[in-house]
Amino acid sequence: MGLIARAIEAIGIPTVALSIARDLTAAVGVPRAVFLRWPMGHPLGEPHRPAQQRTVIFLALRLLLEADGPGILLEPGLRWRRETYQEPDWGLLAQIPGSRSP
Amino acid sequence: MHLLSRGRARARELWERAVTGLYSMPWVMQLWARWAVQRSQRLDASAAIPFVPFSGPLAQARAALVTTAGIHLPHQPPFDMDDPEGDASYREIPGDVDLRTVVITHKYYDHRDADADPNIVFPLDHFRDLARQGVIGAVNHRHFSFMGHIEGPHLERLIQETGPEVAAKLRADRVDFAFLTPA
Repeated sequence: MGLIARAIEAIGIPTVALSIARDLTAAVGVPRAVFLRWPMGHPLGEPHRPAQQRTVIFLALRLLLEADGPGILLEPGLRWRRETYQEPDWGLLAQIPGSRSP
Repeated sequence: MHLLSRGRARARELWERAVTGLYSMPWVMQLWARWAVQRSQRLDASAAIPFVPFSGPLAQARAALVTTAGIHLPHQPPFDMDDPEGDASYREIPGDVDLRTVVITHKYYDHRDADADPNIVFPLDHFRDLARQGVIGAVNHRHFSFMGHIEGPHLERLIQETGPEVAAKLRADRVDFAFLTPA
């Protein structure tokens, strides 16, 4: 997946990836990634848990907007099945400077 | 003879289930990641990581999803599970797909939860919702799906051929950013 992210970024399209294998993602050199120490097959969390899944998307989109250089591997430290999730405040993304500049 | 081959198939199935069960444990996954780094010949730590800054606004950006979770439509050819070095091909997933109809061909992870809710590996329903809400501008009319277990000569094909091919398609679609998910 990291190699595909690199190919897409190399053609000029920004990417953000999720990672469940930290060392591999770091070694491949992925432009932007959010690492989740979760079971394989669950990068966005548990089935039918929309708040959890959308929290992951929120973190990834925030990284997309805020990253100022390559190879950032964000580690939010979310624990597996031991967190409480709420619907993210999506309006916060519009306040990040990168999301407004034309 | 028939019984013997059936026994063998059953043994293989049990073995594969045991292995995917192991990878369901996050710490096993991290150990595997470390090992994969050590044995990989293709990783060059000095190679520059490509980077283009995102230029907003997000509310006008077109998003595309790329996954390596082995998702495809029922009528598309499944990924090759017989080649131990994987399959570097990809499937185009139409933007208007009903996620309840997609299937997963990927024996290297336990995808029972992803079968029940594909959004945990391919969050298309959420991206559609974000476009409706105006958080992002639009969801692209197509997305791309690979399988993640790719080694040997197929890795070369991914780097030289299929990865750049998907990148070119995303550029032709004027996609503003890609969201990538592993299995």
